Amino acid sequence: MTAVSEATVPVASRPPSARHGVRTARRIVVKIVTSVVVLLAAASVTFFSQFLVPGSRAATILNEQTGRTEQYTPAQLAPVNHEFGFDKPLLVQYLNYIGGLFRGNLGTSFTQHRPVTQIIGAELLPTLILTVAALAAAWVIALAMILLTARRGRFVSALGSTWEALTASLPTYWVGAVLLVVFAVEIRIFPVIGGTSVLGTVLPVLTLAIPLAGFLGQVTRDEFEKVLAEPFITTARTRGMGDTAVRLVHALRHAVLPAITLSGWALGALISGAVIAENLFGRPGVGQVLVTAVNTRDIPTVSGVVLVVAAVYIIANLLVDLTYTLIDPRLRET
Amino acid sequence: MKKKRLARLAVALTSALSAGALLAACSANGGPSASAASGGTAVKGGTITYAAEQEPPCLYGGWLQEAYIDRNILDSLVTEADNGSIEPWLATSWKESSDHLTYTFTLKPGVKFTDGTALNATAIVDNFNYWEKGGNSTAQVSDPYFKKAVALDATHVEVELNQPYQQLLTMLSQGYFGILSPKSLTRSTQAQCDDPIGSGAFEVKKWVHGQELILLRNPGYTSWPATAQHKGPALVNEVDWKFLSDPTERYAALTTGEANIMYDVPTQDWKNAESSYQLTQYITPGKPVSLYMNTAQGPFTDTQVRQAFAYGANRQAAVETAFRGVIPYEGNPSVSKATPDYDASIASAYAYNPAKAGQLLNQAGYTGRDKAGYRTKNGKELDVKLAYPAGSVVTDEGATLLQILQQQWKQIGFNVTLVPETQAETFSGAFSTPSSYDAQPWYWTSPSPAILWIVWRPSTKSDPNGSNSSFYNNTQLGNIINAANTATSTTTAAKDYDQAQQIIQNEAAAVGLYDQTMSIAAAKNLHDVWLEKSQGEPVFEDAYLTK
Repeated sequence: MTAVSEATVPVASRPPSARHGVRTARRIVVKIVTSVVVLLAAASVTFFSQFLVPGSRAATILNEQTGRTEQYTPAQLAPVNHEFGFDKPLLVQYLNYIGGLFRGNLGTSFTQHRPVTQIIGAELLPTLILTVAALAAAWVIALAMILLTARRGRFVSALGSTWEALTASLPTYWVGAVLLVVFAVEIRIFPVIGGTSVLGTVLPVLTLAIPLAGFLGQVTRDEFEKVLAEPFITTARTRGMGDTAVRLVHALRHAVLPAITLSGWALGALISGAVIAENLFGRPGVGQVLVTAVNTRDIPTVSGVVLVVAAVYIIANLLVDLTYTLIDPRLRET
Repeated sequence: MKKKRLARLAVALTSALSAGALLAACSANGGPSASAASGGTAVKGGTITYAAEQEPPCLYGGWLQEAYIDRNILDSLVTEADNGSIEPWLATSWKESSDHLTYTFTLKPGVKFTDGTALNATAIVDNFNYWEKGGNSTAQVSDPYFKKAVALDATHVEVELNQPYQQLLTMLSQGYFGILSPKSLTRSTQAQCDDPIGSGAFEVKKWVHGQELILLRNPGYTSWPATAQHKGPALVNEVDWKFLSDPTERYAALTTGEANIMYDVPTQDWKNAESSYQLTQYITPGKPVSLYMNTAQGPFTDTQVRQAFAYGANRQAAVETAFRGVIPYEGNPSVSKATPDYDASIASAYAYNPAKAGQLLNQAGYTGRDKAGYRTKNGKELDVKLAYPAGSVVTDEGATLLQILQQQWKQIGFNVTLVPETQAETFSGAFSTPSSYDAQPWYWTSPSPAILWIVWRPSTKSDPNGSNSSFYNNTQLGNIINAANTATSTTTAAKDYDQAQQIIQNEAAAVGLYDQTMSIAAAKNLHDVWLEKSQGEPVFEDAYLTK
């Protein structure tokens, strides 16, 4: 994560030097290498964590198939161990798994008997649409609230910050249930069973966006109010700039930086938290896949989802770094 | 109207904590738009949207949720009528040999699987062999006496047994024993999972994982069971089997008409559903939800302590409170009231009697009390670790029930610790050994009292019984159940099954809680969806919609 530099650097941009180009290239390579290392670490942790939970994998698979909860004799487990390769040495299993990752093979689900790439592949897009849309909607709601209420007199300001505190602390399930009852059952604007339709995506998006908007708003509001009291805002106003322009062009640019940092985290959190909205509105997605896989100890699928979420975190943070440089010109020089 | 609605909403928003209560409050006087007047004109074809709950990982297998689907895709040899009699299906008739060891089935001629293969005696034999090889996890426990199946000619199959087994036909009526096409059997596990091929009223059109399963009408359907309400292929074109795990959403979908029928109505919506929809509750036969008592290790090795535990809480009242009077109390721990040969008289044993519980504990030597008020024996506190499979078996309401009981047991001196098990722990077998719990609630669905053999067969070194979760090895009990299973007359069998129930109750080897139930609620414009008798599988082949 790039830290915001407090030092004042001349804002005017200079032509990029050759040395600057090399530095940028080196930075990119380092980023890519560390990203791969992070992914491998995530894969290894999930791989080895399966041995920390009690009971054998073969017993779980047998119990899942039969709907029972027993323990078995080694003789009963032997065919299952052989079928899934659990009888090979641990190191061989690990290397097979990691080797598979480099070939794009995430293994085969213990319960669905399908390749994990196929399971996740089908459900990834709906989840990405849901989470990216939720993040965007959260930003729109948060910014609108701030631009409209911050430093607009005590009452309006208080209204804004109360709304943020309230929504930030609402449980997602509750928000979703209220939205479902109000906008799908009472006033029938949106469908109850949303699926992946556009209309059906609105309520799940709002379910995730409303609490997040409150959170982003809280972070941004403090900064925004502080900036509005800065001397350079007064300078801008004395130049005859209108209030809206001051807020949009000058104050917002400074105030959104912390919230942008948090957006990288939020995107990852949204993916793993998407299951609540997905379940409530009957929407397919990776969240549901993960919960089912964890419940049934379907290790290959769990690892697959963990890898995908880790990848999203990494990409999101790269994007955050990039956005930072765009918004804060001082960083282009460091 | 609008004002009233808003006021109602405000009340709901401020007072209701649970989403379910919210929904109940809102739909109570709103009235469903989907409920058309009954007796309207029948629509030709159409799609039934079924708000089902769990999505199975595989469409064919030994889970109840899989059987629900398979019943609509696959046909079986026989079926069970509502009165418990066994009726023809793929087998038009059958003969039992005089030594009761051979059943000869005559098959309905000319039946074809949806892949075009002929459904003949060889196909039936292939299925029996596939089940016994482990392809159907339920086969070996359902029929412990199976020897072999032989095709006599194209339409005659002989099933040979090692011992007489009068429950065979009842067991075969479960959805797990649907007949697959021989071609279907030889495919990969994945293909079998995605698209089991049978001769049923519907076939799999499309399975969108995480969302829905679309079943398409089989236009060439000829093999409906004797219990069908009409003769001929299914009346609707498609059944859209939606997987909606959230009960609030399922009920909301029924309210708005997005679904025509839903699975498992939440108890808080029960009253409303009773007046607005066609509500059917199914009490599952087999072992009800009762507490297995660990008789191998810990305080419950002492019969008197187990009996004190049974006397020590008002289970009936607690069940009524926790489930809002929707799910019935079951005092018989070994079979539910929907099971053949159920003994109602023993269900009333161990009525709430704290004084009697105290007496039994005194006799068992738990005479002391520690600072916290729990009973002690030789200075050792009377601790009970009650583990329960949270979610899948014991719902939130089931957990509430256990908390109520925990408080009552505390009054008579039991220190009960509730340990929720995650589904992953449960299936890993982490709570299947004598050292992992003192009591644990579970159910096991089965259309026959032969379930007693599955659960209570004594474990031996050479043939351990992992399903005997009370670790209760009573040879006499085992002999009685075996005698019942292999009896050649139904009256002798009934007497023996009854005696087995009495032994289990007298010994308090398990303690009754409540019946395993399921329910469906259908909109008033959907007709003739019915629940099959052996397992409550919803049957869609006779169903039609009206305008």
